[in-house]
Amino acid sequence: MHHANHYYGHSHVLARYCGLDDADPPRLHGYLQHGWNIGDGLAPDHEFVPGVPSFLWSERTRRRAWSLGRRQLYVTGAPFAYLLAMEPIDPAAPREGTIWYPFHGWEGQHVEGDHAALMAEIRATEPGPVTVCLYWQEYRTLRRRYERAGFRVICHGYRGGWWKDLDPGFLYRQLGELRRHARVASNRLCSAVFYGALAGCEPAVYGDPMHLRNETSAFGGQQRILREWAGLHGARVDPALARSIAVDELGADRLLSPPELRRLLGWPMPRSVADAELTGVLTR
Amino acid sequence: MIQLIGGEMLHWSDLSGTHGPAPLAAALAAPLLAGATGRTLLAGPHDPALLPPGAVVLVRGVADAEALDAEGRTVLCGSLEKLAAEPAYDTVLALDGLGRLCTPEAPDLDWAETLGLLLGVLKPGGRLLLGVPNEFGLDRLLALPAEPADTDWVTPGGPVTPADLHPPLAAAGFPVVREYAAYPGALLGAEVLADPGVRGFLGATLTAATPPGPRLADPGRLITGALRHGLAGQLAPGWVLLAGAIPAGPAAVLPTGAVRLDDGGWCQGDGSPIPAGRTLEDLVLAACGRRALPAVRELLTAWQESPAAGVPADRVVVDAAGACHGLAAPSTPVSALRSLAAALIGGGYAHLWPSPADEAELTALLAGMTGRELDPHAVPAAAPRPAAGSIRELLTERDRLERELADARAKHEFYERTIASRDAELKRVRQMNALLAATVPGKAATTVVDGLKAGRRAVRSVVRRTRG
Repeated sequence: MHHANHYYGHSHVLARYCGLDDADPPRLHGYLQHGWNIGDGLAPDHEFVPGVPSFLWSERTRRRAWSLGRRQLYVTGAPFAYLLAMEPIDPAAPREGTIWYPFHGWEGQHVEGDHAALMAEIRATEPGPVTVCLYWQEYRTLRRRYERAGFRVICHGYRGGWWKDLDPGFLYRQLGELRRHARVASNRLCSAVFYGALAGCEPAVYGDPMHLRNETSAFGGQQRILREWAGLHGARVDPALARSIAVDELGADRLLSPPELRRLLGWPMPRSVADAELTGVLTR
Repeated sequence: MIQLIGGEMLHWSDLSGTHGPAPLAAALAAPLLAGATGRTLLAGPHDPALLPPGAVVLVRGVADAEALDAEGRTVLCGSLEKLAAEPAYDTVLALDGLGRLCTPEAPDLDWAETLGLLLGVLKPGGRLLLGVPNEFGLDRLLALPAEPADTDWVTPGGPVTPADLHPPLAAAGFPVVREYAAYPGALLGAEVLADPGVRGFLGATLTAATPPGPRLADPGRLITGALRHGLAGQLAPGWVLLAGAIPAGPAAVLPTGAVRLDDGGWCQGDGSPIPAGRTLEDLVLAACGRRALPAVRELLTAWQESPAAGVPADRVVVDAAGACHGLAAPSTPVSALRSLAAALIGGGYAHLWPSPADEAELTALLAGMTGRELDPHAVPAAAPRPAAGSIRELLTERDRLERELADARAKHEFYERTIASRDAELKRVRQMNALLAATVPGKAATTVVDGLKAGRRAVRSVVRRTRG
C-alpha cells in the first residue's frame, strides 16, 4: 500500500511473525508507522488515502492522531518489539560499552553540527568502548573522522524506499548490536534509543542535538521532546523508567497474535493452517 | 357459566392478540397470587393458565367469555360499570390495568373513575393487584408512529408514576405494599433494581424477553443503560402494585418463579443462583467506548476459552472473578462472535477496526483477537432478521456503507494512479530490455551458458554508454 511499510525490513519482520515468507512479505493493507515520532505516527509528508488504516506503535500516538483528525487507527506495536518477541534477550549474556547514534538526516537531508565537539563529549561521558552507528549517508562522509577518533564505526544498512534497496536484515543487525552493548545513547531521543531501552540497554540522550538544514519544528519539535520526555534526557537516566516508557512508546505490552495481525494487514493464512476454511475456527 | 352483564362486545377478543398485547404471563403473575385469598375477581384479560379455582372473571369480549367458560367458574361478560356496585370481593386482580375493562357501550370514564369502580367492588380490608401502564416506558420511547387501532375509541389518561397512586389507594383503605416494575419477562421490586450486581443478568433477561418488531432503536442498549443509571423502575413499560391487606410478595418474579435472597445472593425460583456482574456485550461495548482494545481482547479471549464460548455475548454474565456464565443454550462460537460483530456495528463501533468492517470481516477479526484463525468466507450467514430492524441501527449501517463506498472510491483512484505509474515503469524496463537485447553483449548474454553474469555486464556497459 505504501513503500514506507518496507523501511528497515519492518514488513519482513511482521511477515515472519505471521508465519509467512519473510523474504518477500505480502502487500500490507495499511500504513505502518516506521519510526517514533511526536505527530500522528506517519511521516509529515505522508499522503493519506481515505479508508486506508494506519498501524501505529502506541496508544499515545493513536490518541494524538485521532485528535489530529486521523481515523482508522489501530495500535499494533512496533515491528522491533515483534522481533524482540521472536528473538528474546538472554539476561545472562555479556554486554559491554555503548552504542552511540549521532542524529542523522534521511535521504536528501543534511545534518549541521559540530561532530568534533560531540566526539569529545562522548569520550568524556562514556566509561567503556563506544561503537558509533551512522546512517548510510553519514557512513560515507563521517566514518573516517569517527574512526580516527578511536571509535568503532558501523552502519545497520539501507532503509530502502520505493521497493528498492530494501534491507530485510536492518532490524536484525540493529538488535544484534544493541544486545552486545550495555548502553545506548544519542543526541536526540529517537527510535534507536527506545529500541535499546527495550533490548535491555541503559539509555542516555545528551550532547548537541544538531539540526537539519531547513529543519521545521512540526508538532513542537525538539523543544517539546525535551519537555515531554525530560526523564529520558541526560547522560544517566533511570533505566526502569526508561524501560517502562519504551514499552509504552513501542507498544511492546500489546503485541497482537499472528491471526489478528494477519487479518488486520490483509495477509493470507500460512499454509500450515490451510484447513481453516473447512473447520471455520482453529485454535492456535 | 357465562353471565352477560351488559355492554359486552360481540365480535371481540382481548386474549387472541388481535386487539393489543397478550396479558401478563401466568408464570410471572402466579407467584403474586399467594396472598389472593377469599372471593376473587379477575377483571380484564388475564392469562387463562392463571385463573384460580372458584374465581370470578370479568371480560368484555364474548369470544373470551366463551373461551374461559368452564365447570364451576363464573364468567361475567360486559363492561365494568355494569358490575353490581357492591363490595362483593376479597381480592381483585386487574393485572392488565384499567384500559380493557370498559366497552364502547359505556360512557367515557377517566382513569380515576374506572379505578373508583374497581375499588367499589372490593370489601374493606381486601386486596388489590393492579397493573398500571407507563406512558413514558421504554417500549413507548422506542415505538414507531402507529395508526390508531380498533381499541382506541377512547384513550384514557393514567397516573404519571405509581407514586401518584399511593395516596388515593391509601385513602381508600388499600395502602400499597409492593410495587414492581413490569417488563416482558420479569417483575422487578425495588431491592432487586437497587442491587448493581444483578444488572447484567437483568439486562440480558429483559432484552431477550423483548418482543420482536420494528423500533426506533435496539432496546438492549436502552435497557442496559436504564438499569445502570437506576432508571429501570421509572422507564418500565408498566408497573404492578400490590395494595391492601396482602403480603408484600417476592422481591422479583422471573419466568422461573419468585426471586429470593439466599445466603446473601439472589436465587431464581428453580434454585439456580443469579450470577452477579455485567454482560459480556456490555463490557465489550464499554471497552470500545474507552477505545481500550487490549481490554476487548482480554474479554473476548476469556469468553472464547470458557464453556460459554457459543453463548451470545448479550447472554453471558461476567462475574467479579472474570468467569463467564451463560444464560442461554450455546450455539457455535462463530455464530456467537457474529452476533457480537453485529452488536458492535449497530452500536457504532465499526470504526475501531479497519474497514471494510462488515459482519463477516469483523467476526474474523474478533476471532483473530482471541488468537483464533478464521477466514471471513467461512463465517456462516447471519440468522434471518426480523423484516424491519430498528431505525437507529439502519442509519448506522447506512452511514457505514456510505463511508465504505467513499473509501473504496478513494482507494480505487489511488490504485489507478499506482497502476499508471507501474505501467510507465514497466514500459521503461521493457524498452531497456529491448535495447539490451540488441547490443552485442546482450545477444551474447542470451547464448552464453553463464547468461546471468554476462547480462549483468551488458547492463553495466549500456548504463555506462547511456550516461556517457
